[in-house]
Amino acid sequence: MWKTILRRVMIMVPEVIILSILVFLLAKAMPGDPFTGSINPKADPAQIKHLMAINGLNDPWYQQYWNWVVHLFHGNLGNSYQYQEPVTRLIAGRAGNTLWLAFFSMILTYALALPMGVFAGRHEGKLPDVVIRFYTYVTYCIPFFVILVLGIWIFGYVLGWFPTTGSVSSDAQGWVQTVGSHFYHILLPGILGALFSTVNIVQYLRSEVIDAKHSDYVRTARSKGVPSKDIYRHHIFRNSLLPIAAFAGYSITGLLNGSIFTETVFSYPGMGLLFVNSISYRDYTVITALVLIFGLLNLLGTLLSDIILSIVDPRIRIE
Amino acid sequence: MNKKKLVLSAMAVLATVSLAACSSKSSSKSSSSSNNGASLKLSSAYKNTKATDKTADNNSTLKVAEANDSPFQGISDTVLATNAEDSDVFSPGGGDSLFNVDKNYKIIDGGLANQRINRKAKTVTIKLRSNAKWSNGMDVTAKDIEYAYEVVANKNTTSQQYSSDFNAIKGMAAYHAGTAKTISGITYPDGQKGNTAVIHLTKITPSMKFAGNSFIWSTVEPYEYIKNVPIAKLASSTQVRKDPIFTGPYKLDKVVEGESTTWSTNKYYYGKTPQIKHININVVSTNNIVKAIQSKKYDFTISSLGGTSYKQLKNVKGYAKAGQPALAYSYFGFNVGHFDTKTNKNVMDKNSKMANKNLRQAMMYALNVDQVYKKFGNGITWRANTLVPPVFQKYWDSSAKGFPLNVKKAEKLLDEAGYKKRNGSKWRSDPNGKKLVIHFGAMTGNSTSAAEYQDYLQQWHKVGLDVQFTGGKTMEMNSFYSTLQAPKQSKIDIYAAAWSTSSEPTPTQLYGVTAPYNMGHFVSKKNTQLMAEMNNSKSFNDKYRTKIFKEWQEYMNDQAAVAPLSFSYNWYPVNHRVKGYDVSPANTEFWSSLSLTSSKLQ
Repeated sequence: MWKTILRRVMIMVPEVIILSILVFLLAKAMPGDPFTGSINPKADPAQIKHLMAINGLNDPWYQQYWNWVVHLFHGNLGNSYQYQEPVTRLIAGRAGNTLWLAFFSMILTYALALPMGVFAGRHEGKLPDVVIRFYTYVTYCIPFFVILVLGIWIFGYVLGWFPTTGSVSSDAQGWVQTVGSHFYHILLPGILGALFSTVNIVQYLRSEVIDAKHSDYVRTARSKGVPSKDIYRHHIFRNSLLPIAAFAGYSITGLLNGSIFTETVFSYPGMGLLFVNSISYRDYTVITALVLIFGLLNLLGTLLSDIILSIVDPRIRIE
Repeated sequence: MNKKKLVLSAMAVLATVSLAACSSKSSSKSSSSSNNGASLKLSSAYKNTKATDKTADNNSTLKVAEANDSPFQGISDTVLATNAEDSDVFSPGGGDSLFNVDKNYKIIDGGLANQRINRKAKTVTIKLRSNAKWSNGMDVTAKDIEYAYEVVANKNTTSQQYSSDFNAIKGMAAYHAGTAKTISGITYPDGQKGNTAVIHLTKITPSMKFAGNSFIWSTVEPYEYIKNVPIAKLASSTQVRKDPIFTGPYKLDKVVEGESTTWSTNKYYYGKTPQIKHININVVSTNNIVKAIQSKKYDFTISSLGGTSYKQLKNVKGYAKAGQPALAYSYFGFNVGHFDTKTNKNVMDKNSKMANKNLRQAMMYALNVDQVYKKFGNGITWRANTLVPPVFQKYWDSSAKGFPLNVKKAEKLLDEAGYKKRNGSKWRSDPNGKKLVIHFGAMTGNSTSAAEYQDYLQQWHKVGLDVQFTGGKTMEMNSFYSTLQAPKQSKIDIYAAAWSTSSEPTPTQLYGVTAPYNMGHFVSKKNTQLMAEMNNSKSFNDKYRTKIFKEWQEYMNDQAAVAPLSFSYNWYPVNHRVKGYDVSPANTEFWSSLSLTSSKLQ
């Protein structure tokens, strides 16, 4: 078990290095630089050049890359050109928001999808199954950003039930109010995110349940006279969860990708919105740092999935 | 990104003289809606005569929206900020501006400090008012005036504001290069803690009479409060981001990074006492701003909204519309030369494709800009007639014709110059009979700008000119400017772009011989001479200066190397419960003049 994990981690090292070089080169290959976007007619281009020089942007790429790596090992991801503050501080400020939202959304997704999947599988072909399948396909077909825009319009503006911008109200005083306000702000995007991302889990679970229903151990249990309720709870549900568990690791990264849409529509300052902005502004240090973080999370997500899988399914452990 | 065109923001200026400007002359209020060439007339003020109702409670909160697609950066310091968002969300603090201005942005007495220019001694004396205080109770001192120059010019500064014009201040170049520890040309007659700073210069220009000029910096820095922070780290310090102090009518209570700022009245403010107790400014995505106004979430927006929003909001219930012409214009530029990197000068190339004046004029007369903006401008954008926007009432030449549609004239101009259709071709060839393909560089914007560009191409095709997009399609902003800013390029022959100007309209930085932003490289003796005359000693006479500005506009229109395209309004929806709203630059008590007639938005 530990060997497997260690092996996987070892493979990640070259992956991360290659990823970082690619990201670094691609960011530099984009036309423009961090300063052209904000020059004003009175700012001397000589000053812009001076700023480029003191930020080392005129050095050859390998030197810039090396400087970056050296700084990285000192826990320093550089300064954001756009925000003029350390990237680590900038990302730390935003990461909390994104993780709050992603975590809430994920819990809600599972809370909705698991019962729906089992229920649909149990009543295969009957009305509840049809309704659930219809629901998942419809939600799957509608682009996520459309839902977000519609959602904010109806529930945010027309009905006025939810806040429509930011991560916390500027009126919030004290600890309780602040946390409450944070939660209030993630409620609508979180619920929308959960309602419209159940399709994978429901469909997987449903087909697993249907498979399991016809398997030998279920038939045995049934013939022993185990009540149907217990069969579902102890035999079918547990076994059907296998692929879902394996999926969990990946779904973390999926949620982070979704954050780009959610945060843009809700003006919610998290990592997704930061990523979009940093690209427009050619904020190289932020772009590279974020892609690296997203990349690392992806690798960790896969690792996590494998670990979960090997825990729940002893057959696939590699010695 | 919401920068459809790279509107290069003149930050120092925006912060100094727009909504941020604050001081004590409420009598200088002028709500002009004078002629500016637009068919839609917007007043800079919302004259709310409603009586204050019983529910009105000035303890309530003014709710302000900043429409922007990204969280604001959070740099409250005017010298270091690089975006308009930051100056917007921190504007109730007053932007730490030194001077009051009149409606022509001319510096007048009555602000935090008064300015005196001594042409003989070549000095500018800045004298603070005796009750000038920071919002934490500290005195504003002469050193605070000087320290702004240090932050601008320090060798390790992150500020982008330094320009070669500052070298006119004695000792500034040495300080900027790091060879001097102080700026020798700034002195304190009554000590650093006194209230007077004298700036010694090598030359005095008429532009110094106006806010936003490139010689005299017009904000202060709280030296005592930030002196322990190295200038290179100032932008990321708590003193600038979390707990900044201000000189304006409000003090900052709280900033939620990137999202909102909360303000309450500053008891140390020297000017008119603010009437509303609290202000909240929130960032709202541009996708949502129309909905937010329609559902009455905000009293007004502090950032100007565009033409599309105007169309959607012009009939919205409960809101008035106020606005004034923007310090900006869009234009067509022609590539007629290159930038010589050895001499650092723009050089016109007589043999370049667009060197023929007739060709340039013809291309402009072929366009139906009036029709385009009638359809897409929503009254907020209209055809420009010169390169000086009408916000400069004095300098703008209202009688200039610009380039209204005239296909016959365009064809005549082309025929005369020898651009004829030869061998049965549907396209005109150049006077030497060679094939002529003109490359149009345009930035990718929204669906409206795409339609505009298509119309321009169509019109050019109509007069027989083979004009195509550079690279076959519109360009992403960054690649557009990197192409254009190359010292020598032949990919773009004509381009559409925009400038936002300083509140001092001298155009040398954009069209001068040595100006790197002169991206079309048009240079002529006459042009150089006219621009020099705008700031020679004769131009201390306002009438003379106005005359020169008008001559320059006429000359530039005749040459058509840079041709005006559009002017626009900065406009703002204002809720009916707001009283005293006026965005005129002369209203130096913008925030203090506001009051609410009701506790709820109407």
